[in-house]
Amino acid sequence: MLAAEVGGQRRFDVDADTVGSALRSLPVANLVFDERGQLRQLVNVYVDGTDVREHEGMDTRLSGSEEIRLVAAIAGGYST
Amino acid sequence: MPALLVGTRKGLFVLSSDEDRRDWEVSDPLLTGWEVFHAVPDPRDGSVYAATNSFVYGATVHRSEDRGETWTRAEELGLPEETGLTLEKTWHVRPGREGEAGRLWLGGAPGVLFRSDDSGRTWKTVQSLVGHESREKWNPGAGGMCCHSIQLDPDDPNRMYVAISAAGTFRTEDGGESWEPANSGVAADFFPDNPFPEVGQCVHKLLVHPSRPERLWQQNHCGVYRSDDHGRNWERLEGNGLPSGFGFPIMLDPSDPDTAFVIPEEGAENRVTPDGRLGVYRTKDGGQSWELLEGGLPKPAWVAVLRESSSFDDGGAYFGTQSGSVFASADGGDSWVEAATQLPPILSVEAADWR
Repeated sequence: MLAAEVGGQRRFDVDADTVGSALRSLPVANLVFDERGQLRQLVNVYVDGTDVREHEGMDTRLSGSEEIRLVAAIAGGYST
Repeated sequence: MPALLVGTRKGLFVLSSDEDRRDWEVSDPLLTGWEVFHAVPDPRDGSVYAATNSFVYGATVHRSEDRGETWTRAEELGLPEETGLTLEKTWHVRPGREGEAGRLWLGGAPGVLFRSDDSGRTWKTVQSLVGHESREKWNPGAGGMCCHSIQLDPDDPNRMYVAISAAGTFRTEDGGESWEPANSGVAADFFPDNPFPEVGQCVHKLLVHPSRPERLWQQNHCGVYRSDDHGRNWERLEGNGLPSGFGFPIMLDPSDPDTAFVIPEEGAENRVTPDGRLGVYRTKDGGQSWELLEGGLPKPAWVAVLRESSSFDDGGAYFGTQSGSVFASADGGDSWVEAATQLPPILSVEAADWR
């Protein structure tokens, strides 16, 4: 769904100091974050394969060469 | 060319036909992955707006200028922090009047209204409604506290109506600066100690008749009603041919203010069409009597039609079921054709004119 919102593009190269600032620079930022600026509950963020919750969340520092992946949670049991 | 915008639990479908409205072509899904609570054409410029929701990515509004081939999304939409509320769902989009370039209205949950003046790019909260003095008496219905009906008076540019479940109907006569409850005579039977409160009614769908703007119709949790004075007073209309006062959709005939169509359900505790059939009930006398129409409709059937899932235009009436079928009538409801089947659960139907 996110790729469809940006004409099918699946990768973005961004310069950012933190995971949060990297994600906020994306054209889908207002889908990934809610109106209070909080990461949506069912969006998982991985930095080089590790869930950012195991680091500092959106404040996780970046050195410049990391790969960030956005993945919708499994969300089993939701009425879809 | 007649067309229907059919919002579903899993994307938007466009149904196209000719003036006979008997044979319909069904598009591939658009806005895949999104729950399309409502989609509506903007007759001012031919664009299409959709109130879209995702259990992962939240509530937003999409706009297409090329009949669904490509879409843009609202850039700014949300409730100010000082309201203490957050946007739960977008429910209903209403294009502004001819001459109000770029203006749209958007209803959502929890009981909120937004206005855009830039063709849906940014949306401003209508503070007079989010901060309405009666808000503490509002309660969410089963679908959340949704602002699901937005009706513009076709004659008076400052008069419009919104309906919220379960807050009731509100009327503004100053372009949205202030809102007055318009629920006199409308029952709230779920408040046994005070069944006629000023607010708190569970309106399921509200419509203004396009050629007689003082006449309003509503299908309510507690009956079907008509008002002939801009919603100041309401008359309850069932008990004279309807099997139940409970239902969600309501359709009108633009050429006859005395005609309306409803699709009753058994009741609040069993939300399915009664008597093992799918039946449309029509009045031609302003709601004094109702007749069952079932030509071309399936029987046996136990289905439900949601509040946004009916529509009408100059040549037909239309509705869609939670079972994924769309039905169309081009003869005032006497006979129906199944225009589509096996769609995802249908959330909304809106007639469009694809010129």
